[in-house]
Amino acid sequence: MANVAPRPMSAEEKKVIFASSLGTVFEWYDFYLYGSLAAIIAKQFFSGLDEGSAFIFALLAFAAGFIVRPFGAIFFGRLGDMIGRKYTFLVTILIMGLSTFLVGILPTYASIGVAAPVILIALRLLQGLALGGEYGGAATYVAEHAPHGRRGEYTAWIQTTATLGLFLSLMVILGTRTLIGEEAFADWGWRVPFLVSIVMLGISVYIRLSMNESPAFQKMKSEGKTSKAPLSESFGQWKNLKIVILALFGLVMGQAVVWYTGQFYALFFLTQALKVDGPTANIMVAISLIIGTPFFILFGILSDKIGRKPIIMAGVLIGALTFFPAFKMLTEAANPDLAKAQANSKVTVTADPAECSFQFNPTGTVKFTSSCDIAKQRLAGASVSYENIVAPAGTTAVIKVGETEVKVKYAPEEIAAAKVKAEAKLAEVSAANPVDDKAVAAAKKSVADLGNEKTAGAALLGANLGAALKSAGYPAKADMAKFDKVKVVMILSFLVLLVTMVYGPIAAMLVEMFPTRIRYTSMSLPYHIGNGWFGGLMPTTAFAIVAQTGNMYNGLWYPVIIASATFVIGMLLVKETKDVDIYAND
Amino acid sequence: MWKIAVGFVVFAALALFILSKGGDIDMSGEKHGADAMHTEAPTTPAAAASAAK
Repeated sequence: MANVAPRPMSAEEKKVIFASSLGTVFEWYDFYLYGSLAAIIAKQFFSGLDEGSAFIFALLAFAAGFIVRPFGAIFFGRLGDMIGRKYTFLVTILIMGLSTFLVGILPTYASIGVAAPVILIALRLLQGLALGGEYGGAATYVAEHAPHGRRGEYTAWIQTTATLGLFLSLMVILGTRTLIGEEAFADWGWRVPFLVSIVMLGISVYIRLSMNESPAFQKMKSEGKTSKAPLSESFGQWKNLKIVILALFGLVMGQAVVWYTGQFYALFFLTQALKVDGPTANIMVAISLIIGTPFFILFGILSDKIGRKPIIMAGVLIGALTFFPAFKMLTEAANPDLAKAQANSKVTVTADPAECSFQFNPTGTVKFTSSCDIAKQRLAGASVSYENIVAPAGTTAVIKVGETEVKVKYAPEEIAAAKVKAEAKLAEVSAANPVDDKAVAAAKKSVADLGNEKTAGAALLGANLGAALKSAGYPAKADMAKFDKVKVVMILSFLVLLVTMVYGPIAAMLVEMFPTRIRYTSMSLPYHIGNGWFGGLMPTTAFAIVAQTGNMYNGLWYPVIIASATFVIGMLLVKETKDVDIYAND
Repeated sequence: MWKIAVGFVVFAALALFILSKGGDIDMSGEKHGADAMHTEAPTTPAAAASAAK
């Protein structure tokens, strides 16, 4: 079926791909804006809130990312299957773009009080809803325009937009920051990246308005075969629901964890676990993304020739088999001192098991305050591998680094004694000649923290644990003289390559799994649940596993288990789709 | 195709150049829940990297 006479892409097809991809570039641009500017946005909109309101807004912000998007997938998917792809994803990009732009002109908390965060969250919820319908629309629209046998190649262009959106956000944010300076950027310049989005919106809408409805939908409409109830057809009929479930568990779930591990967890691991400075880690990841991005297209083309399933399944299987060795190699290449310290120093946490929680905290609103939880948070945060030792009920947790015992909770007199020492240290560094400003600032902070009832215990624990770990050889930061850039880029590029294997052909495969009349609805939901939930919950799940088990690599069990499950389900139950005639069941 | 390849290389090189000059920036993606509300640096690794899409 797939032996199509090679012909160059027509101008109309290029326009279709360009217009559809612009929407997903936009989507990714926003995704990175809300990460890169999170601290500034929080300061401008949330800093005046009391604890109770902040809790509610935190839940709503969580909902905007995790709950609303699947609803958007259903809502706009249904519209797309009933009234057409073209108008639906014209609406999604309009809502998405206007929501982004409006954030750029939204008054802050200082100007309009609590209305500011309320409107901001409302815009994010609206944006999340529209975003739920954007990807499915773009993938469906492109695939339905693509010639048979080349859908993998055509839809793969959409998959490259994750990198383009990232780079675009970097250029706009860093460009603005460099041009106007840090202070002005924090004050008003942060609005520029949001305002700039109106240009992208204008171009997208202009192009999308000039495009035609997809041929598959047009044909179905002219024959009067469009679905009157796409939701009940997709999810109420077992033969379709079964495919939705298979798409989720046999494809997208594994694709999502391989992707999040290869890009986001790798970056997180470099900066948080291996203590590599942020700018260096960013450059390493950006280079590997540049190296990897053409492979989205190559694997898309390859999937038209050998099938989508072998490539995606190979990606999840290789991921499951290689994540542990790859991340261990990353440690050796990026922070060999840490690898050495982990091998040589024995660290234990002796605690009452009843005090220890599984610190899974997706909304970030739960506080884990028992001595066991604090001990594990600290050690996991410092990338220390440790053993758990059971203590009698009611015992306060204790950390032991080699022979040094570190208490987790302190009595007031211990804190008072530490404060006296810190004040003496401050006096000493202040009197030194020449004065070391950094040392003075650190000493002042230490005195202030120990003088504050809320922070004193944590400060003393931090100081004592830091000293114990330092003497055991744990580096506070990665030594850049020992940082092997080439090796790090090679490992990261390998991980990105896996991302391109699973993500490159996925749009074509999802499109081909469903008939035209319910395609938009049926493919959007598993995509957003798979990527949003299984992928999005990866950092917090991985951290909880690391803290629970005391091994900084154990967070990788999450993607390994999920990718393995997808491999088994996919191999056994998901059928190859590259030769499917997408008009056959219309 | 070659025009796209050249365009991508130029675009990527420019982004890399700006990234190398522009200093530190969070590339871990959108923040959710309490992470989206914090103005200070997160205290746990999990809090630092809530990337959901």
